[in-house]
Amino acid sequence: MSIVTELILNADSEARYPAPKELRIFQDFLKTGEQRIRIARLLAENEQRIVQNGSARFWERVPVTPSNSGNPRKTASCQRDQGWYIRLIAYSILAGSEKPLEEIGTVGIKEMYNSLEIPLRNIVECMRCLKEEAVLLMSPEDAAEVVPYFDLIIRSLS
Amino acid sequence: MQDILSQVINHYDVIDRFLDEPAIALVTDFFQTGRLRVQVVAIINSNPVDIVRESARQLFEEIPELIQPGGNAYTTRRHSMYLRDMDYFLRYASYAILTGNSSVLDERLLAGLRDTFNSLGIPLGVTARSVQLMKERVQQKLSEAQLGNSPFVAEPFDYIIHALSERNV
Repeated sequence: MSIVTELILNADSEARYPAPKELRIFQDFLKTGEQRIRIARLLAENEQRIVQNGSARFWERVPVTPSNSGNPRKTASCQRDQGWYIRLIAYSILAGSEKPLEEIGTVGIKEMYNSLEIPLRNIVECMRCLKEEAVLLMSPEDAAEVVPYFDLIIRSLS
Repeated sequence: MQDILSQVINHYDVIDRFLDEPAIALVTDFFQTGRLRVQVVAIINSNPVDIVRESARQLFEEIPELIQPGGNAYTTRRHSMYLRDMDYFLRYASYAILTGNSSVLDERLLAGLRDTFNSLGIPLGVTARSVQLMKERVQQKLSEAQLGNSPFVAEPFDYIIHALSERNV
């Protein structure tokens, strides 16, 4: 689901051709294509680094947490999830829509982590750390594109 | 339905990967051809009725028995249904030009279309011809507007024609 699909589903539900406003939105989206690809690339290349540094930052703030319990399986699965969220954010940035992130990763997120007995408060703090690490790697302009997606994850956990 | 971006994303999500270079190339191409796509759709949007009317006129000229008594487009009701269907095809083609792939056609236009038309007794060959005529009309308008002729313009029309064509004859 991207901004393009949304626009066409809207037009089709009213059996009409895309309206001027919709075409303008699409055009504005296209103009940001280069930036979107740049950010997605950067996140892909630095996924490991963001996860590693983010974890270090997180454990400093919240030392008592499953990923820092000395159980390597727990650490690995927590960091795997963190990598997944970075990947989903990269998708959403490309699509220009929060739909990929929502559909794959935030609908039901609270229930899932609750059932896994991972404290939501800790994940929130962890996401904040990942966000801070990611932002360090990019220009303010690119950061402004990325931050809302981290915030969306944080909001859906609270 | 999925546009080309969603299609790439869904594919890479399932295999748990960030987009690699081939995927980035696809996405880049989509962004780069996007402006032209919007211009093409704007041309279609500017006068879809004209495109339908001209193509229908040509269709009935080529196959005059359609509008003669007993013909498939005889009676005002059926004649107007031809026009309405052609407008459907044109509209979905314009969607597909924007999304960059045929997913919207498959899901929203072509699924079950052959059976529907067969049960209504509408000849598929004639319908395919009407789509072909609209394609030519759109291409003509584009060259009048000096927008050249990108392959993505013909793609959805050809896709519809292919889906309507008889198979295994």
